[in-house]
Amino acid sequence: MKLSQGVELVSLLVLTAMVVAAAMGVVLSPSIVYAAFLLGLVFLGIAGMYLLLNADFVAAAQVLIYVGAVNVLILFAIMLVNRRKVYREVKLGAVRQLVAIAVCVSLFALLLYTNLNTVWLLTPEVTALPSGIVTLGQHFFNEYLLPFELASVLLLVALIGAIILARREFVPDRGEENLELVERPKELVAVKEE
Amino acid sequence: MVLQGYGYLLVFTLVCILVPSLALGLSWLLRPKAVGPGNFTTYESGCEPIGGAWIQFNIRYYMFALAFVIFDVETVFLYPWAVAFNQLGLFAFIEALIFIAILVLGLVYAWRKGALEWS
Repeated sequence: MKLSQGVELVSLLVLTAMVVAAAMGVVLSPSIVYAAFLLGLVFLGIAGMYLLLNADFVAAAQVLIYVGAVNVLILFAIMLVNRRKVYREVKLGAVRQLVAIAVCVSLFALLLYTNLNTVWLLTPEVTALPSGIVTLGQHFFNEYLLPFELASVLLLVALIGAIILARREFVPDRGEENLELVERPKELVAVKEE
Repeated sequence: MVLQGYGYLLVFTLVCILVPSLALGLSWLLRPKAVGPGNFTTYESGCEPIGGAWIQFNIRYYMFALAFVIFDVETVFLYPWAVAFNQLGLFAFIEALIFIAILVLGLVYAWRKGALEWS
């Protein structure tokens, strides 16, 4: 075994352990904030796995979209609605656990079945592929130029729509109490923010 | 070996893991282990913290998150262009400028609407 293959194998093992441990943490952590941060760790580990699979653009997109955008939105959503409430458990007991076990076992069985029945095409001699990013860029600026530019218009629409919704300019006639649902009550602002 | 030129990334990752763990571990070894009520308060620039750290934040911060997400997604689109810049030429440069200009419109809108102000 060459040194590079050893490094690859060790990286894969470390990443796998990290992803599994962090994912367990997401599920088992009692604090939703810790769960959100651990979810970011899971996304980072998966990005590392994409790198090991030689998918560098997918890895970059994973870091930017999932760690950057999705996780930030999840954290902000938690920050905006986070209130210390005492949640009551649904009194279903055994039925709930049985349903959860059934769903998890069937999902695992499906994954195992797919894994065992797929013919994995392993091409061992992949050496020095050209980076897919350059090819992607060339396609962006040749035949996919219009979708590329339309994407910016779509992002513009999303930005303006988000600002309008967050500023609540288009609140339909529901009066003031609609604002109070989302805005924090004033006396809690006392925690320093500057 | 599939990956080319990612040795640096590996080295950087190892350094990134090493530096904070060394800093925390060494200070854990060296510091006196005194336990008081001050150990459990939130550190807030040396001031006495008021209230808990787990509060509901103002909706205004959400606008920064939304603007960040939009420009984050823009980065994904511009990334292949930046990597393939030498092969693409002037036409792609102008196209990318148009792409950025359309999004700068959104930034100007956000600015004019006061979405970027703390107040």
